[in-house]
Amino acid sequence: MTKILVTGMGIISAIGVGKTPTVQSLLNGKSGIGRIKHLKTKHLELPVGEVSCDDEELKIIAGYKSSLPITRTSLLGRVAIKEALEDADIDNRRPRKMAFISGTTVGGMEKSEQYYHDFLNNDLHNDYISLHDCGACTDVIAKQYEGKFDMVTTISTACSSAANAIILGANLIKAGYVDAAIVGGTECLSKFHLNGFNTLMILDTDKCKPFDKNRKGLNLGEGAAYLVIESEESMLQRKIKPLCELSGYGNACDAFHQTASSSDGEGAYRAIMQALEMSGLSAKDIDYINAHGTGTGNNDESEGAAIMRAFGNNIPPVSSTKSFTGHTTSAAGGVESVISVLAILNDFIPANLNFSEKIETLSFSPVKECVHEAKLSHVMTNSFGFGGNDSSCVFSKL
Amino acid sequence: MNIYIQAASQISTQEPLNEKWFDTPSYPDKILNESIDPDFKAYIPVMIARRMGNLLKRGIVTSVDALNKCSLNGDNLQAVITGTGLGCIENTEHFLNAVLDNEESCLQPTFFIQSTHNTISSQIALFIKCHGYNTTYSHRGTSFDSCLLDAFVQMKLGLISNALVGGHDEMTPSYFTLLQKVGYWKNTPLTDENFHAADTRGSISGNASLSMVMANMKVPYSLCQMRTVEMLYAPTMQEIKAKIDCMLEANGMKLADVDAVVMGLSGDKDNDNVYKNIMSEVTRDIPVMCYKHIFGESFCASAYGVYTAATAIAKKRVPSHLLYSSRKEILNPRNILVFNHFHNIDHSLILLSCPD
Repeated sequence: MTKILVTGMGIISAIGVGKTPTVQSLLNGKSGIGRIKHLKTKHLELPVGEVSCDDEELKIIAGYKSSLPITRTSLLGRVAIKEALEDADIDNRRPRKMAFISGTTVGGMEKSEQYYHDFLNNDLHNDYISLHDCGACTDVIAKQYEGKFDMVTTISTACSSAANAIILGANLIKAGYVDAAIVGGTECLSKFHLNGFNTLMILDTDKCKPFDKNRKGLNLGEGAAYLVIESEESMLQRKIKPLCELSGYGNACDAFHQTASSSDGEGAYRAIMQALEMSGLSAKDIDYINAHGTGTGNNDESEGAAIMRAFGNNIPPVSSTKSFTGHTTSAAGGVESVISVLAILNDFIPANLNFSEKIETLSFSPVKECVHEAKLSHVMTNSFGFGGNDSSCVFSKL
Repeated sequence: MNIYIQAASQISTQEPLNEKWFDTPSYPDKILNESIDPDFKAYIPVMIARRMGNLLKRGIVTSVDALNKCSLNGDNLQAVITGTGLGCIENTEHFLNAVLDNEESCLQPTFFIQSTHNTISSQIALFIKCHGYNTTYSHRGTSFDSCLLDAFVQMKLGLISNALVGGHDEMTPSYFTLLQKVGYWKNTPLTDENFHAADTRGSISGNASLSMVMANMKVPYSLCQMRTVEMLYAPTMQEIKAKIDCMLEANGMKLADVDAVVMGLSGDKDNDNVYKNIMSEVTRDIPVMCYKHIFGESFCASAYGVYTAATAIAKKRVPSHLLYSSRKEILNPRNILVFNHFHNIDHSLILLSCPD
């Protein structure tokens, strides 16, 4: 079977614009969760992982010079894809055929909610009407690179969207449809989903405490991250140095409840087992799990149960970096895949911040402090979404 | 390995859950056209249906109907792959209005919970208890096409042997109004006679709910074989032509072997011009089939293009009302190419053949 290699990455989140500041924040235990600065909401009591730049600053970083309107979701995506494409030197050494697959769910909602009454009552902001849907956000990102991509699509499976984009991209490469794919996701904060999660009573009014006995919920975050993945043949032909291998992945459905996860983590367990099987690895080979770990009562218990079922007595170090970035929802699978690869490349295990007491039903505690000089051969990252859309990816050192 | 469409089921402006439209279609007479819903109670227990919006109910009913035709259920189905351009937009609007009107207080979670785009796919899985692969594509006019590609690729790779793919979209009056402002819809309804004659922007709206079962084994009731699924991004005419040539060649076929090309002609001049250019430059004398004049336009309308072609192959004829220029019925169509594009950016090409 075709080997899938990661040859470039780009990331933007509350802990930094780009890979270097992201690694620094993770190594120094510097969380990006704080008070709301840009999002127009009255829920200022809720801590979030907001990207520090406003839209105008993002435009500069992304090199967006057009006067055409653009949503924050697309802007974040443009910042991340720019870094990823440069990292993989796509401009100078083009892969033969390339796909762009992006995950998002919020799409243009952050602008729609601001201008919704204008949409209905006047013509002041009509431009944003066409930018509302998920696909529009992807097309606006792709437009900058017209001529580079052979196909473009959008995945919307809520909080596992970006992980599923990675899976589709890898399958397209294996089937010979494309030689390379830019995969990941982008999502900005919106009043819509902040209030949505708030009505579900799963937002912590303090900093989130993933895998802690007294966890109160998640903090929403925003960001974007993309990976350039390609076949070994394409990598050799382009003479580009790979960062690591995407050695396995799995997708399964919990089929339990629209917003809650089953107590035995059936969907998560299946996704994890599939990813392990595809990578040809056994539980003891995984050196670190970057957990979905939202910090809600339900997720962490269910995910913990799935990890216990899959790993038994060989549970590797586990941490949730959502304690740094907040839950970047549709981008999370991308953000956390990039973080997992950065951990492999920089020999560390990121901490699970704000943890103090173990969940009684779980056999393990997360990693409290950043582990330096950790030699990681294989890292698993989990992404689970509403509707039981569970996915898991394994990245391996070369 | 060959891949087949085993069954399909639809709810639309046409009579639901059957193929009466194939012989006696009704022509949508409004700009915003509602679906004709079946008796949901026959498929979904009342207590469960009560909490579901119409789009979700349609998604579940067409899925269950298509699966029943192939004796598939949650245990032996391996993938649920759903396309939706807007997701459950009715619920999204409910929650958005509540957030704005109540200034972010006193909100109920119900509409939010069922507003995410993957609600349909995950509720289908939940309803039939299917733990298999599950994903949702939301990419404007090629959302459904992306589903086909995903299922097709996974079957080719041997990761799955069957899949339920669907395209589901609803149009609410308020979202209709918004899209009308940006040129999506006509100001007056179209008739069958003048559908392709208008020289203005905009189409007529129709809801889409279509479910199909794909599998890698031929069965007596297989509707057609799916030979190729391709997606293209902002291609030039030359690239489209090259792609068609390439996919035909890979299947040992020439352009002359194609009995009809399905195109998403919608009455919108910008949209239709792209198809007309393909007709004059590439497909030339091959008869063109259309479907949006009876199913209307929506982000998932392309599902009806594939469905129309599959049905024509299964029923061994293309009735004249589905033909664009020549209206001479085609008998025994063996190969039909389905060509779809959205705003001339995202394109797809799907080649279907007789299953034997």
